[in-house]
Formats: sequence, structure tokens, C-alpha cells
Amino acid sequence: MNHAIVLAGALIAAGIALGGGAIGAAVGDGLAGNATIQGTARQPEAQARLQIIMFLIIGLVEAMYFINLALGFYFITAVASGVK
Amino acid sequence: MIFLAEAPPGTHPTVSICNAWYCTFNYDSLISSAIAIVITLLVGFLVAYRLSHGVPGKLQLLFEFLIDYVRGLIRESVGEGGGFIVPLAMTLGFYILVANWLDFFPLAEPVHPANADLNQTLALALVVIIVVQAYSLRVLGVRGYFRRFTKPFEMALPVRIAFIPLNIVEELVKPVTLSLRLFGNIFAGALMVYLIGSLITFLAGLVPSGGLTTGLGVVFGPLAELGLIVWKAFDIFFVGTIQAFIFTLLTIIYFGMAREGLEEEGHGERQRPAPATAETGG
Repeated sequence: MNHAIVLAGALIAAGIALGGGAIGAAVGDGLAGNATIQGTARQPEAQARLQIIMFLIIGLVEAMYFINLALGFYFITAVASGVK
Repeated sequence: MIFLAEAPPGTHPTVSICNAWYCTFNYDSLISSAIAIVITLLVGFLVAYRLSHGVPGKLQLLFEFLIDYVRGLIRESVGEGGGFIVPLAMTLGFYILVANWLDFFPLAEPVHPANADLNQTLALALVVIIVVQAYSLRVLGVRGYFRRFTKPFEMALPVRIAFIPLNIVEELVKPVTLSLRLFGNIFAGALMVYLIGSLITFLAGLVPSGGLTTGLGVVFGPLAELGLIVWKAFDIFFVGTIQAFIFTLLTIIYFGMAREGLEEEGHGERQRPAPATAETGG
């Protein structure tokens, strides 16, 4: 019984963490894309350089989300195997 | 729980020489990183062996382009005298790239993308941070090294004292974020492959049940397989490449940050006006 409650709590917590992380990553990706579009509209010849920077920023932003995903799963498995 | 029935990624088989935590090894990570190291060395020696001064081969051209690019980055953010960073950054970046791209091949059980183990990425990050701190001490001297913890330099003294804890936390967090970023990306990629794979087996189990659920299995089974292919391509060729590049770039940027405050101290002749120090978060 105790195990079930803890497991349910862990699953809900991982869901909330994933949801919040997804919101943040989406906003960050959107900001990076927005800035790239503005920069390209202002200076079309800089598009290639801006795209490299955009992908770099997207990699940095989405790293947060993937760390979230990995650690959330880690906690679920730790809780599921740790609490009897 | 259904998806915890088999061993998920992240549970490493261990082998222990003695019965203590410090001599227990995740031997799967040892095998996969050994493969990555061997491939890295082979490619490196191949390029060095077939080196030509005339028309370079394609591989040599690629390496020359990459080294030139990294050298340009170092010149911009560290300045002259940062030449020793080129081999460190290039080797780390190329090794991480090889280790990530290993996942492209169908791997037998103990072999996995080597960076999906926190021990390995933490080791890489610690090597970088130790060299960065040593470089900072050597360039700035002991006084300048401790003065660097009172950033920002142009503020009044009480403000700078108030900033000391923040700066200490910033230094401590560097290896943590550097290792967790790489580990989280690669581990989450392997995790997603595992989860989509278990979804495929779940949908295939629906097919013989008859009725509406058969339709579900027939329709969504191929979709899930397509999703697996798309995700794996994205994970290896986009995320893996970008993460290797980001690790290299952050290594260089940390070296650039390690010499902050050099120009105000007055020692060290600078050939360039100001280093393009980049603030990085996360």
C-alpha cells in the first residue's frame, strides 16, 4: 500500500516536471527562432551564420528538457526499486 | 508497471574487484568507451599517416577545417597563447562525437552509447575543469585567481564582497552542468528508444486480441516503428553532433572565463583589445 502511494506520487511528480520542462523548452526554442527570423529579415546574408547559432542555442535549451526527462525516469526507477 | 519489466537503460551491469564502491566498474560502459577510444585513435592516426602537403584527402580536409575552426574560436575567446587548448578541445569533441555516433550501429547488449553513463561524462567534465583552474592560476597568479571571485570588478567593494558566494557557486556548478548536459541528452535519447520500443511490443500484443484493439495495433504499430526510426536519426545526427560541439565550445568558453580580470591587473601583455568573454547559463 505504502509502495503504491509512493509510486503514484513519483509518477505524478515526474509528469509535472516533464510538463514544466516542456513549457520552458518550447518557450526557449520559440525565442531562439523568433530572434533568428528577425535577424534574417533584417540581414538576409547573415542567415547561414545565424542558423548555426540558432541550432547551438536550441541544443543548449533542449538539454534542460532532456536532463529533466532522464532524471525524472531515474527517480521513478529509484523509487520503484527502493520502496518495498 | 509494464515498462519496468525489462532492464531499462541506466541500469548498468557491474563487476567488482574488491567489495567496495571505489573498485566497482560498470563494465558495459568500459567496453563501449574502449571501442570509441580505439576508433578515435585509429581515425586520428590514419589522418596523421596519410598526411600530405599537396592536395589533401577528404578526411584530412575535414580535420583541417575543424581544427582551423576550433583555433579561430580559441583566438576569439581566449586570445593568443591558448594554443594548448586546441588538442584538448578537439580530442574531447571528436571522442564524444564518435561515442555518440556509435549508437547508429545495431549494438549487441553490453555495448551502448558510452556517454549514457554519468561516470564517463563527469570524468570528461572534471578533466576540463581541473585544466581550466590550473590555467587560471597560472595566468592570473594566486592573487588574481582569488580576485576573480569578486566579479564584477567595476562595482563598489561591498557589492563585490556580496557577489563572492555567487561566484563560488558558479565555479562549482560548471562541471555539474557540463557533465549533466551531455549525460542527460544521450541517456534520454536511449531512454526514448527504449520507451518507443516497448510501445511497439505493446501494440504488437494488441493485434491478436480481436475487435477494436486489433485495429489500434494494426494502425499505430507501423506509426510507432516509423517514429522510432525518425527519433533515432534525430537523436544521433542532430542531438549527438550538437552536444559534441557544445561540449567543445563550452570548454573553450570556460578557458576564456578563466582569465577574466587579466587586463585590469596590468600584467600580461595583450595583443588583442578585449577577450570576447561569453556568459553561459545552464
